[in-house]
Amino acid sequence: MIWIVGRRAAVAALVGVALMVVGSRAQAQDAVVHITVKNHRFEPATPRAPANRPITIRVRNEDSAPMEFESVRLRVEKVVPANSEGVINVRALSPGRYEFFDDFHKQTRGTLVVE
Amino acid sequence: MRARGMTWALGAAAAVATLFAGVPAYADDANNNFYEIETKYIFGFTEGSGIGLEGEKEFSPETVINFGKRDGRYAVSETKFEYEFTPNQYIQIELGPLASYYNIRNVTGLDDMNAVKWSGFFTELRYLLFDRGTNQPLAVTLSVEPEWHAFDETSGARVVNYGLEMKVNADLELVPNRLYLGANTLYEPETTRADLGVWDRESTLGQSLAIAYRVRPDVTIGAEAWYLRHYDGMFFNSFTGDAVYVGPTLYVQLATKAFMTAAWNTQIAGHEVGVGTLDLTDFSRNRVKVKFALEF
Repeated sequence: MIWIVGRRAAVAALVGVALMVVGSRAQAQDAVVHITVKNHRFEPATPRAPANRPITIRVRNEDSAPMEFESVRLRVEKVVPANSEGVINVRALSPGRYEFFDDFHKQTRGTLVVE
Repeated sequence: MRARGMTWALGAAAAVATLFAGVPAYADDANNNFYEIETKYIFGFTEGSGIGLEGEKEFSPETVINFGKRDGRYAVSETKFEYEFTPNQYIQIELGPLASYYNIRNVTGLDDMNAVKWSGFFTELRYLLFDRGTNQPLAVTLSVEPEWHAFDETSGARVVNYGLEMKVNADLELVPNRLYLGANTLYEPETTRADLGVWDRESTLGQSLAIAYRVRPDVTIGAEAWYLRHYDGMFFNSFTGDAVYVGPTLYVQLATKAFMTAAWNTQIAGHEVGVGTLDLTDFSRNRVKVKFALEF
């Protein structure tokens, strides 16, 4: 009996957590930021995103060489092959400026402005 | 010994001064190249709050050499063959085997030994508790490192040893991308079964403070101090001794995906219960850390 009650409680808890996750996702839709890399420059170099919402950064590399989108403060890195697109998911951020760069071409840099 | 220590300290100071002397000329050219860095390895034995980047993997042999006891010749190293990865933006995981080298001769209380051994296995979980922000220079990471050893870390004797190193790793960015202050708080309980079959319990408590300054975009130098206390028993049951270590630190970014870090700590003060000045039973006179890392 105790085992059955325990199992029901566990299932209820799982359902509850799943609903909370779905609910929070529904409440906090990802903000999408589009960045293009061309001639080893980010365009825009200072994209903007809303604070306290998860962010999806879509990086389109239009150069003929691969690049690696990287940011210490965003804590992400992703290699984007030539003439293709990479998608990077970033947690909800507090307002501020977050540097990012191409790790294969260190002078290619930008700043995500979260406000 | 004191004269040799003084000579070494003067040499280290001269080397640091030389590095700083070269800063202004270089800084004029490269002042705009001081971008953000990961702080985990810039403080020597003290660990910064960094947990890497999501998706990043790293292989790094990390060697810690302890040398110098009260008498005889003592040099014991332990190398972690460390695989490290960051599965998300909050957690980092490390794991790998341990190998030790023992070179012990005529040390009171220890058997002579000259041997290399696969000595154990470790894992580490790091969780970023408190993130640095634009107007908030403090970051804090919690780490838990369970370890298993088949040979005693100090003597090389066959044992079964389990340890759990728990640390709070904090760092403060004093000057953006240039000057950092780091601190660790350590608690490590251990239990060891030697050949008599009895489990001996011990624990170590520690606090560190470190400063790191980027003299060039790819070179960071600094200094750190550690205060360590050793006890018999898991929860500070019986104090056996304490030690104060100080020494210089170095971090060099060798290439885009490779770096090395080194640190040297010398015990400058301490006390061993029933013996006297310095604790050279629970700790060594000197310790050195060298790590090479390759990210992929």
